[in-house]
Amino acid sequence: MNRTKQVDKDRAVPVYTVYIQMYGTFTLSQSDKRPMYFQIMEQIKQRIMIGDWAEGQPIPSIRQLAVDLQVSVITVKRAYYELEREGVIITQHGKGSHVASTSGLGDRLREQELEQHLEQAARIAAQLRMPPKRLVERLREAGDRVAEKDKELI
Amino acid sequence: MNDLTTDLAVELSGVSKKYRYFTLEEIHLKLPRGQIMGLIGANGAGKSTTIRVLMGLVHQDSGEVRVLGHSMPAEQVAAKWDIGFASEDMRLYDSMTLDWHMRFMRSIFPNWDPAYAQLLLKRFGLRAEQQIKGISHGQRVKAALLLVLARKPQLLVLDEPTTGLDPVARHEVLRELTGVMAEEGRSILFSSHNTQDVEQISDQITFIDRGRIIDSMDKETYLDRWRRLRLEVPLGIELPPLPGIVGVQRQGRLAVATSNAFAPDLAHAYEDTGVRVQSIESMTLEEIFVANVEHSREEVEA
Amino acid sequence: MSSSVIGHLILKDWRLNRLLISLSIGVGLIALVIAQYAGEVPRVVGAVWFFVSLCILGSMLPGSAILNERKKQTLAFVMSLPVSSVQYSIAKALSTTVMFLVPWLTLLISALVLIETRHAMPHGIIPMLLILAMLPLIGFCLISATALVGESEGWLMAASILCNSSYWLVWYLLARIPSLTANWTRPVAVWNSAALIVLSVELGSIASIVGLAFFLQSRKRDFI
Repeated sequence: MNRTKQVDKDRAVPVYTVYIQMYGTFTLSQSDKRPMYFQIMEQIKQRIMIGDWAEGQPIPSIRQLAVDLQVSVITVKRAYYELEREGVIITQHGKGSHVASTSGLGDRLREQELEQHLEQAARIAAQLRMPPKRLVERLREAGDRVAEKDKELI
Repeated sequence: MNDLTTDLAVELSGVSKKYRYFTLEEIHLKLPRGQIMGLIGANGAGKSTTIRVLMGLVHQDSGEVRVLGHSMPAEQVAAKWDIGFASEDMRLYDSMTLDWHMRFMRSIFPNWDPAYAQLLLKRFGLRAEQQIKGISHGQRVKAALLLVLARKPQLLVLDEPTTGLDPVARHEVLRELTGVMAEEGRSILFSSHNTQDVEQISDQITFIDRGRIIDSMDKETYLDRWRRLRLEVPLGIELPPLPGIVGVQRQGRLAVATSNAFAPDLAHAYEDTGVRVQSIESMTLEEIFVANVEHSREEVEA
Repeated sequence: MSSSVIGHLILKDWRLNRLLISLSIGVGLIALVIAQYAGEVPRVVGAVWFFVSLCILGSMLPGSAILNERKKQTLAFVMSLPVSSVQYSIAKALSTTVMFLVPWLTLLISALVLIETRHAMPHGIIPMLLILAMLPLIGFCLISATALVGESEGWLMAASILCNSSYWLVWYLLARIPSLTANWTRPVAVWNSAALIVLSVELGSIASIVGLAFFLQSRKRDFI
């Protein structure tokens, strides 16, 4: 993810948190570089990953979510379309949408997220011309740091 | 009443209108029922004129205008029963109260929903017994919107509904506009030069500049077509002109190329010539707006 | 359905101009009361105020009812309602006319009743009263038509100045027609040919003004 800042980005752009009854909060931001539909997908996947949205559980209709999030219907439509392509949700004509009931969906999503992060790390390492062995070392060091921090929190 | 077999809420075909210092040229515009269209343009680009032609307030010199299946301006009376119109330069009666205006609308329109009207009063923070003379700009805009929203019309035509509103008021208005979508079949066409609002709630986006439509399509496809590529140009390599690139900015070895027709091939085309693609970024509607207008003006002058 | 919208627009205009209408009726009635007193001064003051209240109403009402809709930018609000520009013009012409005719008729009838019952003035004055009372009506029609068609303060001012400065001239000219003034003091109203001709000319000019206004108005393509 590119973090290059530009002068015209320094203006404050609204971040808004929307509360949906029963479904917890969605936080969408226009200052986030990622498209809106992508943010919606991410947040739906997160809820599935942490178990807030159970497998097989019905989710709001496209229109209802659009109204609740105050975004265009077409954006939610796209998010649902992509999620369905990835097998994360299923939409049945006339019955609405629900979380896919494949077992281990939460873990699978986590795996995907890990893959993305690893590829990103590899890409940056390549830009820094870091040898693969050193990258593995760095990953181990990062793992240790995280373990330390987790211990402090307990 | 309405022609329910039409699936277009608004259709402008080849509409032109000439004024002394401004001309609206060959406007083609389609808004399917049940969707929201954001009409974006700089000040003086022709947004208000287009909307006036659409409402039958101004008779076009050529071309056809159909709104909710009715031909305009000939069938404007029939159409206006189902259209809620509010514009930024519209004023209510200063010496009357908001309550008087509400009762006035209620006496004319059978669809007036008194419960919803009361809810809007609360949500917008308005007092019905207050005279229009005494209220602030933002509240006046919200009052005018209340009067059209409570009628629950099939089509809302709004000329700059959020201009001049503070962030809280804007949020309140956008909430009600997206709320309209809860009922299938209701449509909204609004004009704005606030790209954030348009980006947030529009299904369709139409760009207008100097009296001409420069782009009109669904928002997601549109946002997908525009990308900014950050390039690193090694010494001795020329940056090739590629199709789909509308602007390039150089700063030494670094370059930023803006594309309005992005496909992965474009990045590969650069890499093939030895130029390194550092990153490919999506653009906000505001950035697209500026790039698009500059590009289209260059094209016209060429 | 459309007739009800026109009806609502007329009621709306009435509500907005209540003050102006009541003031002109009030001043006119006070003028009539003053004219009852014996002596030349009360008679003159009463007569002048009577006519001036009608002339002022005729000048101010078009501005308030017709032009203000554009000036105060409420026209877009009205045109967002289910009315066409033609229907709007009809509603506006009707409401403005009614708002003038009500005070005009009220004052004219009050004057006639006073002449009939109080014997303060001889009946011979009735034809002249009618002829003179028509003048503010003609002026009102002209100023209203100009406001409706011309759509600007400049036109309104021109028409208003023209009319207001012409009333006295016309009054003077009419007063110099012997066959009209000869019968003022008679106890009976005399409707001779001079009176009838003048009245028909007045009615004719109203008809032409109204006709021309509607013709010009219907040819407009840009309403706002």
